[in-house]
Amino acid sequence: MTIQAELTRIIELFQLPFMQRALIGGVLTGLMGGLMGSFTILRQLSFFSDALGHSALLGIGIGLLLGFDPSWVLLPFAVIFALVVAYFLERTHLWTDALLNIIYSSSLAVGIILLSFRDEYQGGIGNLLFGDILAVQTSDLIFGSVLLGACGLFLGLTLRSQILLTLNEPMAIARGVSVSAHRTAFIVLLSLVVGISIKAIGVLLVSAFVVIPACAARLLSRTFANYVVLSAGLGALSAVIGMIVSAGFNLPSGPSIVATQLAIFLTAMALPRLRVLGQGEPRNV
Amino acid sequence: MSDSVLVIDGLTVYRETHLAVENVSFEVQPGTDTAIVGPNGAGKSTLIQAVLGILPRQSGDVFVLGHPLSARGYLPTEVRQRIAYLPQNFLFDRRIPITASELVGLGWDRMEPQLPWAGGRSRRRAVREALTQVEAWHLRDQLVSSLSGGETKRVLLAYCLVRPRSLLILDEAPAGLDVRSESDFYQLLYQLKQEQGWAILQISHDLDMVRRNCDRVLCLNRTLLCQGVPGHTLSPENLSLAYGSEFVRYHHSC
Repeated sequence: MTIQAELTRIIELFQLPFMQRALIGGVLTGLMGGLMGSFTILRQLSFFSDALGHSALLGIGIGLLLGFDPSWVLLPFAVIFALVVAYFLERTHLWTDALLNIIYSSSLAVGIILLSFRDEYQGGIGNLLFGDILAVQTSDLIFGSVLLGACGLFLGLTLRSQILLTLNEPMAIARGVSVSAHRTAFIVLLSLVVGISIKAIGVLLVSAFVVIPACAARLLSRTFANYVVLSAGLGALSAVIGMIVSAGFNLPSGPSIVATQLAIFLTAMALPRLRVLGQGEPRNV
Repeated sequence: MSDSVLVIDGLTVYRETHLAVENVSFEVQPGTDTAIVGPNGAGKSTLIQAVLGILPRQSGDVFVLGHPLSARGYLPTEVRQRIAYLPQNFLFDRRIPITASELVGLGWDRMEPQLPWAGGRSRRRAVREALTQVEAWHLRDQLVSSLSGGETKRVLLAYCLVRPRSLLILDEAPAGLDVRSESDFYQLLYQLKQEQGWAILQISHDLDMVRRNCDRVLCLNRTLLCQGVPGHTLSPENLSLAYGSEFVRYHHSC
């Protein structure tokens, strides 16, 4: 098959409504993950987003046992779970990563046990773990757009407070920033972003959307403002490239996007070294 | 109400179950420099963090520029804008990508919901003037993480300077600097204090600096042991009360 024919096939594929929804869903998830991720990694909450993702199984298990539609249970569960975990993290004297490990592995275990009682959902575990971006519905896109707007509005209007809070908490409090209100709002938004992204990219890969574009943006940024914008931009860019790669090579979509994020991250790591090589060896004057 | 910049009346603060500061009262007058001295663990940082509302207080009253600090640590934004606080060592994650001018800009901003580009030209002008005044304009685009200790302190002074302030609260501001950089820091600080009319409340371990520069000194060791002008207050008897007699013998033999 020629390259032209292959390109035509990919373009035709993206004319199908489910592929268009998947592409928009990927871009929305990439933008939200990158935007929230830029502050998540600086506040060392990367593992927190991972724990949130894994806890989704528990939420779905509880929803099924109570006879509710799992997708309706997932978001409120994610928010409540996030607030409870944040409360424990503030109060405990244990190491944060150790506590999060206990929470996510135990919620995963209990979630799997609960799901084992419901035979009809056994087949759904695969989708839950790895997601199915091709199954994204219009309602998911509407909710994703609203959530992206809320994240953008919140971080945009409070950007200065968020930066000072990330930089030095006592300095922010001294300037009148309400740490608990900002922290709670941030955690609620992050849990919603993780919760809504799970359907598209799955429990196992959701934290990659929060962490990898932000880390790549950090390597490429010289100012805080650029860093936040670039993080969101790289999230969206990797979703577009990942979807095209997925369509072109008939690969699973979620993992293709994460592989693209990794490629961007590795490029960002290599860039300074390439620049040094490009300048040649320093000459003795 | 007096025209004091800061009035503390009967302040008591617990850190978890530990009584860290007990029944402390003092005032800071406009344009004066007040030092808090005392051994490690005496409650100095706890005291100023309670004054700023960073830590909750058990009892007592705090008035900043005539406004009461609420039990939940609330002060009007206008009052918060008139105070600058530099914490001990200014420790932060050096992987955070923030430039010197962005940091100084945060000193100018009102910490209220606003558009990210709010302030625009007047913000940029204030940042330029503040950085120029501390001779750090050339550092404006450098990441704070790449600055030396002395450069970081100058940028932090620009953060204080970028808006008119009435009160600077410094927690061991020159910590981490070598002798030369510390001397440069104090020279710049007192030159700016003169120009800006700042009142300063600072924690210090440098008793000689306190004797040279400060108008008042508070000796703290959980309770306020003594307060007054440094020449009189930093007597061997009072220092012995605060630090123990061994310290005074060593200090005088040096």
